[in-house]
This record gives sequence, C-alpha cells and structure tokens, in this order.
Amino acid sequence: MILTGWEAVFFWVFSIAAIFAALLTVMARNTIHSALFLISSLVSVSALFILLRAEFIAGVQILVYVGGVMVLFLFVIMLVNVGSEERGSEEIFNHPRQVTTSVIFCALLVGGLLYAINVGYEGLQKRDETAVTVAAGQRTADEQNLPEAATGSSRITKETERVGSGLYRYGSLPFEIASVLLLVAIIGSVMLARTLKQEAAVDDTAPEILQREAQHDPEIAKLQSTIAQ
Amino acid sequence: MYRYIWLVPLLPLAGAAINGLLGRKLRFSEKLIGGIAVGSIALAFLITVAAVYSYAFSRNAMWPQTYVTSQDGAFKFTWIPGGAVRLTQGSPELQALNLRSEAAMKRAAELQAQQNQPVIGGNEQTGEETRGSVLDVEWSYQLDALSSIFMLIVTGVGLCIFVFATGYMHGDTGFYRFFAYMGLFMFSMLVLVMGSNFLMMFVGWEGVGLCSYLLIGYYFDRQEAANASRKAFITNRVGDFGFALAIFGVIATFGTTQYTDVFGQAATFPLEPLGHWGLLSWIALGLFIGACGKSAQLPLHVWLPDAMAGPTPVSALIHAATMVTAGLYMVTRTNVIFQHSQTMMMVVALVGAATALFAATIGITQNDIKKVLAYSTVSQLGFMFMACGVGAFAIGIFHVMTHAFFKALMFLGAGSVIHGMHHEQDMRRMGNLRKYMPYTYLTFLAGWLAICGIIPFSGFWSKDEILWNAASTRYIPVGWIVWIVGTIAATCTAFYMTRLMAMTFWGKEKFLGKQAGGEADEAHASAYDKGLTQHDAKFTSAGDRPRHEPGEHVGPTGSSAHAHDDHGHAVHIPHESPASMWVPLAVLAVLATIGGFVGISTAFTGGKHIGGRMNIVNFLDPIIWNPATHHFGKEEMLDSAGRPLDGELRARAEVLPAGIEAKEASSPYGPQGFNLAEIADSKLHNETATEWLFIVISLLVAGIGIGLGYLFYVKDTRLPDIWAARLKPLYQASYNKYWVDEFFGWAVTRRVMDAARGVFAFDSKVVDGGVNGSAWLTRLSSRIIGGTDQYFVDGIVNAIAAFVARLMSPLFRAAQTGFAQNYALVMVLGLVVAVALFFGSDIARAVKSVFAIIL
Amino acid sequence: MQFLLFNFLSPALGLLFQAATNGRFATAWEKAQHPDLSKFLIIGALLFIIGVAGVLTRRNIIVIFMSIELILNAANLNFIAMSRYLQDTGNVNAVAGQIFAVFVIVVAAAEAAIGLGIVIALYRNKETIWVDEIDILKW
Repeated sequence: MILTGWEAVFFWVFSIAAIFAALLTVMARNTIHSALFLISSLVSVSALFILLRAEFIAGVQILVYVGGVMVLFLFVIMLVNVGSEERGSEEIFNHPRQVTTSVIFCALLVGGLLYAINVGYEGLQKRDETAVTVAAGQRTADEQNLPEAATGSSRITKETERVGSGLYRYGSLPFEIASVLLLVAIIGSVMLARTLKQEAAVDDTAPEILQREAQHDPEIAKLQSTIAQ
Repeated sequence: MYRYIWLVPLLPLAGAAINGLLGRKLRFSEKLIGGIAVGSIALAFLITVAAVYSYAFSRNAMWPQTYVTSQDGAFKFTWIPGGAVRLTQGSPELQALNLRSEAAMKRAAELQAQQNQPVIGGNEQTGEETRGSVLDVEWSYQLDALSSIFMLIVTGVGLCIFVFATGYMHGDTGFYRFFAYMGLFMFSMLVLVMGSNFLMMFVGWEGVGLCSYLLIGYYFDRQEAANASRKAFITNRVGDFGFALAIFGVIATFGTTQYTDVFGQAATFPLEPLGHWGLLSWIALGLFIGACGKSAQLPLHVWLPDAMAGPTPVSALIHAATMVTAGLYMVTRTNVIFQHSQTMMMVVALVGAATALFAATIGITQNDIKKVLAYSTVSQLGFMFMACGVGAFAIGIFHVMTHAFFKALMFLGAGSVIHGMHHEQDMRRMGNLRKYMPYTYLTFLAGWLAICGIIPFSGFWSKDEILWNAASTRYIPVGWIVWIVGTIAATCTAFYMTRLMAMTFWGKEKFLGKQAGGEADEAHASAYDKGLTQHDAKFTSAGDRPRHEPGEHVGPTGSSAHAHDDHGHAVHIPHESPASMWVPLAVLAVLATIGGFVGISTAFTGGKHIGGRMNIVNFLDPIIWNPATHHFGKEEMLDSAGRPLDGELRARAEVLPAGIEAKEASSPYGPQGFNLAEIADSKLHNETATEWLFIVISLLVAGIGIGLGYLFYVKDTRLPDIWAARLKPLYQASYNKYWVDEFFGWAVTRRVMDAARGVFAFDSKVVDGGVNGSAWLTRLSSRIIGGTDQYFVDGIVNAIAAFVARLMSPLFRAAQTGFAQNYALVMVLGLVVAVALFFGSDIARAVKSVFAIIL
Repeated sequence: MQFLLFNFLSPALGLLFQAATNGRFATAWEKAQHPDLSKFLIIGALLFIIGVAGVLTRRNIIVIFMSIELILNAANLNFIAMSRYLQDTGNVNAVAGQIFAVFVIVVAAAEAAIGLGIVIALYRNKETIWVDEIDILKW
C-alpha cells in the first residue's frame, strides 16, 4: 500500500489537517469551537479512510459522527451553561501539576510509539513479495473489471459489497449484539436525562429527595401529594 | 428377503417403546396395546418366515453358508470400535502342548498364516513374537441354520403367547407395562439369537435377564414376586460372570468376537481329550457356567421354580420356551469350542443328566401346578444338555424346539386353568376340569402325551433321539451312565405329568365346597396348607391387579353366580377361557403333535435322515463341527444339487491327516471303552434293530410312568399317601426340593450377610474410630497452634503492620486524590511503561543516535 | 503545487517522522512522497496521543468526551489501514478491520449517548461540568 501522486498530497493535507484540528479541539477555550474542530478532524480522518479505499466507513463516519454524535454534543453544550468558560473567567486546563505530568507522559508516548511503528513496520516489510505482487496484479485485474462510474473518470469499487457480505456473514452475531447495545444506550440515555419532575411523575424518586424538593417547588409538591394518595 | 432380518428385532422393540413410553401417558386401551404388541410380533414372525424361507429353501438359497448382514452391507454398525488388541492367549507353544498329530499342527500353522488374522508381528532382534488383531465389534445380524430355528421358535411361539396374554392379562391395570416388558424381552432374545458375535449375544443375554427380572417381579407389590425376581437376577449374575470371563478368553485368544472368525480359527486348534485341560477347555467352562445360570442347570437351577411368581404367559414364554434355552443356543453355537474339550463335553452331559433326574424327582411331589411345570422345564433342559454333551447338538436343538411347543402349550394350559379357577394354582383344589374346560383339556392332553414321549407326539422323537445318542455316543466314555439316568428321569417325567393330569383334569371336583379368594396365588396355597377356610388380604396392592381391601372379609358367600372381572371369591365354577386364550393353545397343540416329524428317527426311515434340509438334523449340520474330520458338517452330507456342502469351510479346515481311518472318524477322541449301543449291536448284529431296541425301551418306560401315575392318582387315590409315608425321607427330600435353597441360604446368603456385618463392624469400629481419633488429635493440635498464633504470631504481625501503616499511609493517601483524571494519568503511565518495556533499549539507542546527529 | 508542497514541508516532515532513523532528509523526502502503512499508523498514534492529552488535561467534561471520540477515531484509522495492508498483501477479502471499525463507531455512538445523558444528569444535580469539582470518588 503505497500512495503516490495526488493521493500522497491529499494524504499529507488531510493528515495534517486532522492533527491540527485535533490539537485545536483539545486546546480551544470555547467548547463550541472545540466541537467544530473535532468535526473537522473527523472529516479529515474520513478523507483518509477514502484514501484507504474504505468508502463505506468514511460515509458512516461522516453520517454517524459528524451528523449524529456531534450534533448531540452541540445540543448538550447548549443545554449546559458554560458561559463562564467562554468569558475567560475559568481555567480550562487542570491543575498545573496534572498538566505537566500529562504532557511529559504524552511526549514519552509519542516518542515510544513512533519508534515502535518504525521498527514494527520494518518487520512488516519482510514479507512474501511474490504474494504481494500476485495480489497487486489480481487487484489491478479486478479493478479493470469494475464498472465505470457515471463521470467516466473512476470506477465503482466492490469494497462496500465486501464489507457488507463480511458483516453479515462472519459478523452477524456481533452485529446483532451491537444493535442490542444501541437499544440499551437509547433507553439508558432517556432514563438518565429525565428531570426530577419526570421522575416524580412515574414515582421513580427516593421519598426523601422528593420531600426536600417539594419544599421549594410547588409543582413537585403537587406531584408528591398525588403519589401519596 | 433375508437382507431384511434386521427388522425382526427392531419391530418388537418399536412396539415395546410405543407401549411403554406412551401407553400410560396417552391412556391406550387394552385393544390398542394388545394390537400394537401382537401386531409387531406377528410382523416380525412373518418377516422371519420369509427370511428363513429365502435363506434356506428358496431357489437361490444361501443355506449351508452363513449369512451375516454386514457382508453385503444390509446392516452394519461398529458399536465398539475397539481398535488393535494384543493377543495374550493361544500362543503357538500352548497349542503345541496338546497337539494330537504333527500334520494337524503344521496345518494349523499354515492356516493361521493364510487367514491373515490374527496378525503376527514382533521384534525381529529379540525374536520375541507378539500377536495382535483388530477388535472392532460390529452390530450385525447373522442368519444360519441355528439362528433361523431359534428365530422361528421365538417369534412363532412368542406370537401364540402374546395372543394368549391379551386374554390372560385382561383387566390388569399394568397392561401396557406388561406388553412393554414382553416386547423388550422379544427384542433382547432376538438380539441374543441373531447377533453375529459374542458381545451381541452378551447384550441379548443380559437383556433377557433384565426382562426376566422385570417380569418375574411384575406384581412388584407381592413380597415373594420381588424376592423371586431378585433371586433370578442374582443367580443369573453368577452364570454371567462365567460367560463374561469366557468372552474375555475368546478375545484374548482369537482377537475377535465375530462368530465366523472365532470358529474358523478355533477349528484349527488341537483337540483336548480327557486328561488334557487346555485353553479351549477353560473357555468352554466359562461358557458352560453361563449356560448353567441361564438354563437353570445344577446347581444354579434354584431361580427357575421361584420365577413362577410372574404372570403365567411370562412363565410360558421366558421360563419355558425361549429364554431358558439360551444356554442351549450358546452351547450349540460354540460347539466348536466345546467339542475341542472332551472333558467339558463330559461335564455337560453329566450335569445335564443329573439335572434331568434331580428336577424330575422334585416334580413328583409338588402341588402347585406351575411349580410342577417349572421343575419339568428344568428336567427337560437337562435332557437338552445331555444331548449336547454326548455330541448330538442337532438333537439338543430339536428338543429345544419340541419342548418349546409342548411346554409353552402346557404353561398356557396351566394359565388357562388358573384363569378359569380364579387364581387357583394348587392342584389339590382342582379336579375333573375336563368337564368345564374342554378345549384346555384337549390341548393339554396333547402336551402331556408329547412330554411323556408317546409315539408319534413331538416329544417322543426328540427325547428318544437323545437317549439313543446317549447310549451310542462315542464322544464320552460315560454314555451308558447318562443313558440310565436319562431313562429314569424320563420315567419320572411320565409319572409326574400323569399325576398333574390326574389331579387337574380327571378325578373328583375337589374345588366344590371350598372357597377361593385371597390376595395372591401363593396365598391360596398357603391358606389351604394351613387348613384355613378363609383369610384376609395381607398386603395393599399397588393397583396392578384385582385385589381386596385390607381387612375386607374374603370368604364363602354361597353364591355361584359370578363374572370373571368382579372376582367374587365365592365357591366358583370354573369356566372355559376366551377364544384369545384357547386358540393359541390349539395352534401349539397341533405343533406339539406333529412338530416332531421334522426330526424323525433314522430307525423309521432306514437309517438315514430323510427329507433333505427339511430334516432338522440335516438342516443344522453345517453349523455342527466334526472333531474327527476337523470341519463343519458330516462327511456324507450333500445338498439338493448333489454338491458337497460347505465346501469352502471344509477346504479351509481340512486338517485330517491321510492316515486316519474311518472308524476313528466317528470316535474323535479315540476309543471310549464301554458303550451300550456297541454291546447291543454286537449281540444283535443289526444296527437298526439296536436302535429299535432302545426305542422300545424308552416307550416302555414312558408307559410305566404313565401307568404308575394312573394307578396312584386315578385308580387308588390312597396310594400316594401310603407311599409317601413309607418312603418318608425320600418324600420329604423331594417335597423340600432337596433343601437346595436352604443350603444356599446357609452357605451363601448367611455367609455373605455375616461378611457384610463383619465389614460393617470393621468400618464402624476401626475405620470410624481412626477417623474420630484423628479428628480429636487435630482439634487438640489446633488448639495449641491457635494459642501460639493468637499471642505470638499476631503480635509480630500487628507490630509490623502498625509500623508500615504509619510509614506508608501519607504516601498512599496522597495518591488517592478522588479526581478521575489522576487515575487516568496512572493508566497512561502504565502505557508508557509498557512501551518502554517493549522498546526501551531500542529507544535509548535511538535517542543516543539522535543526539549524535544533532551534536 | 505538489512540488511546492513537498519542497516547503519536507524539512519539517522529515524531522518529524524520520529523525529517529538515520536523519538523512533526502531519504525522508523520498519516503514522504510515497506515504505507506507506517504513515497512517503514525497519524493514528498522534491522534491517539492528542486525545489522551485532552482527556488528561481538560476540565470540561464535554471536551473530555470529545477527546475520547478522538481516541476511538485513531483506533479506527489503525484498523482500516491494517485492513488495507492485508488486502494488498494477498488477503483480498480481508475486511475484518473495516467490520471492526463499524463496531467501534457503534460503540462510540452508544458511549456518546450514555455519556452525554450522564453529563445532563450531573449538571442538573451538581450544577457543574468541571471535572475537578466532581470529586465524590474520594469521600
């Protein structure tokens, strides 16, 4: 897998964009900015996915992350009041000791991981070159047989088809489990995000909390009396 | 058609499974249960008939050859994949020890090489020879002359008895259970006789033992039935032990259990005449112990009379017609092994003769109609073993067949009588039943004449042949003793059967004026014995039988009107049984009358077994090994096309050296000394005349027995008491069955109980004492150690702990900040350490090189 | 354009990625023109480290969640790159990496939903989103 030409250019563009967007995500003072930088980082990474010919994952990344998760983030940011941070009256980073130690550890990790990747990649280079050649040849031949896209400049790959068949053939059980996980997440988030009033309405609150709240909230007091009957 | 014999055992099993598993759940009606059971047996019988016909009598019959279902893939399943085994017995040295002739030895060695099994391998350097084989036991069925006869008997007689049982067991709440057990028994018995190897026979052997146990204890709420079933089971275990040892011996010697392979190899083994006790004698001894257990030979006969506690169809099917003949089947099946050992042949003959006489003398004095028949069965089984022991295996099987006919007939007749008499078994309370039960009487008459040996009823042909063969045998030296004992036993047989007839069907009606009633058949007899006129029900019933409530008064009501089902125990008038009961009787009576003609004596036919393969002796010939010629079958046997029979078998086992003369051929173990038939022959100079002489003798003794019985029990009924008083010791001995049960109780049961008590005492005193003592010791030591621990060790530990706590606690407390990110930081530290551990040295080197570049 | 980009960026990139090997910028430039598996892995590693740093240093719990999303994305990038690598070395149908990525995205979505629900509940009860004020782990 070696990118050449414009692919290499795009690789560098998007990877640098991803890294800088990620850095800005972490360092931005405004949480909204943070979220927007994260969006750009994710989009860049999905562009990298496309360079890796994983179009399906790239699409999912944009749809789920950028379209779903990040919108959720933005809603939550707006729900919780973070004005003080924006106004600069609050420190956005932790205690200096924590920050210093973290940065040192991260720097060590960067060095270690980069070195490990280089060494490991050298190991990966000792491979069966004939198999690689044969695979490359087969891949080229396969690509020749792929149908052309409407513009005529590219071809429609079968990558998504492969992922689909793999997902439903080998990964069908994890797939089902994942769907259950999502269901649990939906129900759990609904349960977590209820207000006290909503909880009291279905009698899902400890009596003493209800008692305490009822003292300064007439609506809850009304609910409490309803429950008491 | 014979390809489908695997269906034969399967059908009864399926019927039994349906009845047993669903019968109670789905509340099958009696008609349905009976239909399933009888239908499955009938179908099995039809298939058997068709298979035997196509195997033995059709145009392209296989007959002299053995058919095994695995040979053409009709049915095969390896149920014990045993793999390679090492043969530890039957080494060439051992064979050489008892070898009779050089030529036979050479031939045996050649054959062993040819047959390619057992495989002979070994270590060439040490010269040590090891022999091995492959023991993959298959589940396949074998069809040959012997198994076809047994299949016909089992399914045919079984069918009659099943039909009878649907009538006899009418109204029994355990109807489904009864027929499930019976079907299971049929399956086991068919596996026993159809199996193609010893282990299948063993499976069937144990299966019939189990079913016998279940069916004897069918009325499990009755103490004596439960005891009898256990007695039967345990006594059979003794025999099965011998059988199992014999099977181990067979495996260790031949490396296979398949009959064809085992007998093919065994045929090449040297003979073991009297005085030589070799390997095959041991195997034969084990097999014969097994046969003794199953076929109720001395001294393991004790279970069979007690087994009469089961329902009467069970007694007829299992304890007269089929299961008890399994021993005969086994001895005949393994006749190659038995005939190798002259000693064992003699043992078989003597045990058979002793049993025949012993049981016959007991039968004279018994009063329970089923007990008489039971001892008669034991006695007849003795006759069969006698036949095998003197080398006339085919005649033994012939007697099995005729006996199956007439004894099943008589048992069913007895069942009919008991049914008609409302569970009365004591013959002293019967009499003149021919007036009330004409069909039963007429059929019983045929059975009586057959067992007494009156020409031309079936029993005559087989019994006379047995006696003739005993007198003329050249297999063992004591043939004349066997003949004398057998003849006396035959006289006794005729006497006690006539007694039975007289007490049951002739004479005065002794049941009038006396009342029946009570809990169980046995209870009637004991109540009668004690002179009780009435008795109460003793046990609560589990509900399988018509019964009386405890405390309910059971006595004469003076009413003669009754229906069978309500079991009113008034003075009752016997009644004829329903058609479902007497029709099987009639069928069996016809068979008992004419069934003997398949083995008609040579004296009547000019010295030859006529009828080709329709004659049972000729039919069985291919499976009977001839020790004189070392091959299967007699020399002069030709099949219908004039070809010599089992040519292949013969060629394979042709070990007869050229020098052996014709005279020796008929006397395989050499001259045997005194021989009754030869003496008579030398006087009469005519072989046919000699045989006629013995026929006349056996007819004469039968007549004497009958005449005595008639004299004692019809003419002058005071005579029995007079003679009982005169011969009081003998009478007591016979009446008490020679105290064998008491002897076993004293010698075995009591000893076992004593041993158990001793072991228990040892356990409770010595073992428990040891355990308790060690527990006490442990407690003591633990108290000591506990004190030490509490004051000394804990003190040190606490001191150190307090020191460490004071020293380290600030550090640990500082680490617990409560902020999640601090903990996450520690995780990252772990990650850094992990990377450092993997690549630490490399990274250090890299850093150095970077510095080198920069500086 | 391409030339300009590489000319302009090459010293920095070479220093960044290849300094530890032999320090020869020419080789590094050559390699940078042909990014391969290791480059993707390095990008993934950097994203991961940035995410870790975010988790460790920020006070805002929402940003911490975002950093966790970054970490998960870095893992995804590794999965996909390895999948592609395997496909190019003979296993034409090696799509396990992509399938894993799908599941990672699923887990990330579920985690975001639950986590943000927790944030809402937390904010409602404690009126704060600063992590260092949520210290009831130490009683």
